[in-house]
Amino acid sequence: MRRYETIFIVRPNVAEDEIEAITGKANSIIEGDGGTILRSNNWGLKKLAYLIKKETQGYYVYVDFAGVPASVAEVERIFRIDDRILKYLTVKLADSCDPEAVKEQLANAEPVIPADEDDTEAVESDSAEDEQAD
Amino acid sequence: MPPKKRIFPRQKVCRFCTDKNLVIDYKEVRTLRNFVTERGKIIPRRIYGNCAKHQRKLTDAIKKARQIALMPYSGPTQL
Repeated sequence: MRRYETIFIVRPNVAEDEIEAITGKANSIIEGDGGTILRSNNWGLKKLAYLIKKETQGYYVYVDFAGVPASVAEVERIFRIDDRILKYLTVKLADSCDPEAVKEQLANAEPVIPADEDDTEAVESDSAEDEQAD
Repeated sequence: MPPKKRIFPRQKVCRFCTDKNLVIDYKEVRTLRNFVTERGKIIPRRIYGNCAKHQRKLTDAIKKARQIALMPYSGPTQL
């Protein structure tokens, strides 16, 4: 069992429940192959750093799981077929993973890693404006 | 021949070696932002004095962040 994390970006005009359906489908593929979902976060609508399929924004969904390579291939195949998914990225975090131990560790650690880059950008732009005003 | 100008380079230390809390992760764009130019180019390690190991991890992280559109390949985020 290996530990992976997958981020995928869904088109912004897709409804919330559809996103949940996509996530659920991916999760069921992973669990069907004997994997475990360690955590799953919806980062929400974020600005993209560059245009993807003519979209400027996208819903980011983050899934951390323990699974086998075959399920990664299958999930990515589904993502490629689905038009609503703009982009995806899977990163292998560890070659071997004990789902129970990691789950405990995650429970003790802080719940989420929010990628609130938009907030920092807002702060930065605010300070820049302040400097100009001064 | 004029005497060679002696330059005393300031001792630069790797920011990631001194601060253990600072982790290199492609999802934490806030940290990575400090190591790219305004146009999104990766700043060479001779500028900030990062050690080779951490600079390598940093470039990997920035390139991953670019792939998933958290950071731009070029140009500021202006969309």
